[in-house]
Amino acid sequence: MDITLAQLAFPEAVPAITTAHYLFVSTAMFAMGLVGFLTRKNMIIMFLCTELMFQGAGLALIAFGRHHLAADGQTFVIFVLCVAAAEAAMALALVVLLFRHKETLSAQAWKELNG
Amino acid sequence: MGLPIPDGISSARRRVSISGTTDEENAVDPIISPIALYLICVLGAIGLGVALPRRNKALEITGGLLFAAAVGLAVLVFALRATNSGQPLPNYFFYPFAILALGASARMITHPRPVYSALYFILTIIASCGMYLLLSAEFMAFALVIIYAGAILITYLFVIMLATQAPSSGAESFVNETDAVAREPILAAGIGFVLLAILTTAMFRGIGDLPTAPHPELAQDSVLLSLPAKVDRILDRAGVLEEHERVVRNQDGTAALDIVSRTITIENTDLHTTRVVGADQWPESLSAGNLDRLGYNLMHDHPMTIEIAGIILLMAMLGAVVLARKHIELEDDLKAAQARKLGESMNQTAEAGNA
Repeated sequence: MDITLAQLAFPEAVPAITTAHYLFVSTAMFAMGLVGFLTRKNMIIMFLCTELMFQGAGLALIAFGRHHLAADGQTFVIFVLCVAAAEAAMALALVVLLFRHKETLSAQAWKELNG
Repeated sequence: MGLPIPDGISSARRRVSISGTTDEENAVDPIISPIALYLICVLGAIGLGVALPRRNKALEITGGLLFAAAVGLAVLVFALRATNSGQPLPNYFFYPFAILALGASARMITHPRPVYSALYFILTIIASCGMYLLLSAEFMAFALVIIYAGAILITYLFVIMLATQAPSSGAESFVNETDAVAREPILAAGIGFVLLAILTTAMFRGIGDLPTAPHPELAQDSVLLSLPAKVDRILDRAGVLEEHERVVRNQDGTAALDIVSRTITIENTDLHTTRVVGADQWPESLSAGNLDRLGYNLMHDHPMTIEIAGIILLMAMLGAVVLARKHIELEDDLKAAQARKLGESMNQTAEAGNA
């Protein structure tokens, strides 16, 4: 069996099947972030799961950027990072505020917010 | 980017089909057989749904094993299909990084203790940094380690440690009640993995039609054309330029380089003569790295986005300050509970001091 590797030096184009491998990992990371966000009751872990979804999106961006041999994918990951940092700052301030109100991190303590 | 494209390279975009067939039904087939994909999704959903925190610890371990089986099956099926189709495999390092990323993210969402969750997320980030390296995004890989694992996650750890109730003295474990049991684990895992199945099916169907890069031989160094001053500097250091010489600038301000045939046109600014340097004198260092390409792309193609990112960060900072400064009036019963807790702990320390 003659096995060749797709990952060569940078200007070599990667075949679609290699990109598909990376996309599967990125989608699986995104799906697991979603599962975690839906199931966990701890507010900090819920926000950590959104960060996992950001990671999945970032990996897809980088994989597509490599496929097209363009730097735009990496540039977008910088902005994803930026939004993730902003989100972390806001979310953690919010979590600390909510914790000081109810002395618990459980999202279920805020049931009265149900519409 | 509006760069001059040398003649002799066809600008026609090639449509690459993986299998060569145009059969719409089998479009997923060249990458992974659909049955295997759905089997992996079902197995992973059951495994993750059972592994999420619950009272029965033995079930959790079974779920973890099921999930590991799903990941192993995925690796096996993907690798075998890639090998059999005559397509090149991804770099071997892809598989350990992928397994590490998936395993660590599964452990992150299933671990009952928040601090461990955050640490497993750092492991996920490091594994995906490995994949970034394989995808030739070196700068982003290291930036991710520094910013994400180094800054954002440490902030998370701080808040986790700040905002965690100390376990009451009677509790037998350190696990908080909030984290001990997940909410609707099977349903949520089902939703997540249906999403995974749909997204991957849609992507694998379309990926054969993805156009490949039109000019791979230009992808790396074409940035140099737009940076004549940098080319001057590199050539000067390499000793190609003599006194009063510089690279010729074209009408549109680009450097007179020919990346494909590797020739440089140099002019003497005093004597107004030009000479052409051939490929034999093209210095090794005259090449654009990942950082050059990324920086040029960021500053040249997305300047407005940088401004917007700055505004987002400023607003987030202001919002965080406003939220964190807010004074909170505790309700009376909570106040009483806190006072009682404080009194208890003071009594305990007093007793410990007496004994």
